Amino acid sequence: MLQKHLLLYISVFLLLFTNCKEDKGIKKPLPATIKTSLNIDYAKGFSIKNNGNFKVLTITNPWPKADKNYRYALITKENAAKTTLNKDEYDGIITIPIQNIVVTSTTHIPALELLNEVETLVGFPGTDYVSSIKTRQRIDEGLVRELGKNEGLNTEVLLSINPDVVVGFGVDGKSKSLNTIKKANIPVIYNGDWVEKSPLAKAEWIKFFGALYDKEQQADSIFKSIETSYKDAKQLAKTVTNQPTVISGALHKDVWYLPSGTSTEAQLLKDANLNYLYADTEAAGSLALNFESVFAKAKQANLWLSPSYYSSMDALKEANPHYTQFDAFKNNQVYSFTNATGATGGVLYYETGFARPDLVLKDIIKIGHPELLKDYKPYFFKVLK
Amino acid sequence: MNQNQSYKWTFLALSLGLIALFILNISLGSVQISFSTIIDSFLVKSSDFSNQEYIIQNYRLPKAITAILVGSGLGISGLLMQTLFKNPLAGPFVLGITSGASLGVALVILGSSVFGGFLATFLISKWSLVIAASLGSFLVLLLVLIVSSKVRDTMAILIIGLMFGSITAAIVSVLSYFSSAEQLQQYIFWGFGSLGDLDWQELIIFIIIYSFGLFFSILSIKGLNSLLLGDNYAKSLGLDLKKSRFIIIIATSLLAGTITAFAGPIAFIGLAIPHLTRQLFKTSNHKILLPAVFLIGAIIMLICDSIAQLPNSDYSLPINAITSLIGAPVVIWLLVQQRKMIF
Repeated sequence: MLQKHLLLYISVFLLLFTNCKEDKGIKKPLPATIKTSLNIDYAKGFSIKNNGNFKVLTITNPWPKADKNYRYALITKENAAKTTLNKDEYDGIITIPIQNIVVTSTTHIPALELLNEVETLVGFPGTDYVSSIKTRQRIDEGLVRELGKNEGLNTEVLLSINPDVVVGFGVDGKSKSLNTIKKANIPVIYNGDWVEKSPLAKAEWIKFFGALYDKEQQADSIFKSIETSYKDAKQLAKTVTNQPTVISGALHKDVWYLPSGTSTEAQLLKDANLNYLYADTEAAGSLALNFESVFAKAKQANLWLSPSYYSSMDALKEANPHYTQFDAFKNNQVYSFTNATGATGGVLYYETGFARPDLVLKDIIKIGHPELLKDYKPYFFKVLK
Repeated sequence: MNQNQSYKWTFLALSLGLIALFILNISLGSVQISFSTIIDSFLVKSSDFSNQEYIIQNYRLPKAITAILVGSGLGISGLLMQTLFKNPLAGPFVLGITSGASLGVALVILGSSVFGGFLATFLISKWSLVIAASLGSFLVLLLVLIVSSKVRDTMAILIIGLMFGSITAAIVSVLSYFSSAEQLQQYIFWGFGSLGDLDWQELIIFIIIYSFGLFFSILSIKGLNSLLLGDNYAKSLGLDLKKSRFIIIIATSLLAGTITAFAGPIAFIGLAIPHLTRQLFKTSNHKILLPAVFLIGAIIMLICDSIAQLPNSDYSLPINAITSLIGAPVVIWLLVQQRKMIF
């Protein structure tokens, strides 16, 4: 706690200090020795260090088992004139607050919205996947350029719009199009929100965007309110004693894929006070189980969440008649987020689920313990019809 | 006739082996089910069946039958292709039947986003995959045959088959570029091959089409034996070359096409089973080879599936991995043992 306060004091001090300087126009060397770190409670994939007149953003886990840290210097225009940074020391030097940005995943969109920076988005690959109303409007007005596919970005268009920064994501850092862009001196930052192991850690990546826009305080308070709302919901769920049993996933051919007990999905189910039947399993990816074993274990499960991409009971039945034998199917207790989509068909959950774990949790509580949230209207999960 | 007599016991032993493996296959799986429960699930008719009975009747039994159909059908279609093209490397895979089927399936799964509209509604039906795969494999094989009638060299035919494979692969990759992640996922899972996701309704259709394929294969036995002696000799024996070629092709595309449609592209079996059988039976008479390939194909497939299920664990392996892992060394061993390839 003390540390937090200290940090706050230092950052306030710095803020005042720089403000003073600007007002009076006094050219004084900045105290480059003060080093503070931004408070990050859950996320493990990035850190932000304040080096006095510039900040260092370090991405430690852009993809699973990354063997290298990526360091970016974030510096304001005023300080850039006064500071010489060793270019070789950083993977990119970015002038903040950034004026225009290209993001590559829909999970990045909510951060821009929450920070009120929607108008800085100038390009996106696969704009049809974006559902948020504000960003959609700008896409429809032609203010956001279509960049093709994430795995093969339209490099020409991207170079022509010349954004301050491209926020990419990579499964192994070998994306050729992102490397071409790097060579053209457009900084590429890998966002590792998807690597994080807990729902709140994923949401905390808003602080990463906060740093880019020089809006750290705002990002911090947004995250605080999401965190509080998540924890409140979790507390609420704890007040009931019954724990409905849950099954998830679906068959691909004769293998049933479902989230492991350590996945964020399983954590959400646990925090919603539900009994996920595979909560005690451990695996890095999803579990791939034989049909028989899932059938024997989960036939009597009360609830069935996220049956893969299926969007109706008929589609499930048509795909495999085994599904009809499950109690959750018979009792119409199958829930999926595939039917909550935006205007152009993007699935809301994929866009907003990372940024708003509190809403996801409440959706799940509403399914498992509807009596707790009587007036709540779910955002993502709907009962399959 | 004497020769047939001497194979009688071998056939009897193989048939008994097939039955034993069929029962073994049904009794093995992730969930331990006692033998008495298995017997009960067939004999005692109860309206309210347990989980275990459901697994036996609606998962393991269809899976075992599928294994028999796939193993025997691919073996036979491989045999037909090897004789027709007089090439020991021939098989449904080499000649583009499978690539034709995958093109059909790709058009259905991935193409719905490209074509959209009315096609999309047709495409939702579960039969669309089967129809598309069968049509695709039939068309590709027909093309290979038309071209092959223009060229004399059998090596050229193989290369032409490979070229058709490349063309279809190219079309599939264009389609996949424009497809969503879910569609790609569906297509890739189809490509893994699987025996265990057919319900009874699908299985009955499978058996019907398979039977037609088997019927045409039996019809072509005489033609196959004559073809072995060379085209000219076959003609002089009074064989209508065009007609028997056509029957062989129909039989192969019915067998390999439906199998690929229902179970996905299953590797290795089509190529290896005929070789395995020839080595074991030391004959090239199709009257003996055809039923022998049927039995050995079915037996190998049942063994592979039993292993792939990894009994008593929650996991199972993709069937394609097992067929090649187990099968290929067996064929190599046999060839080395006999020092001489029978073809």
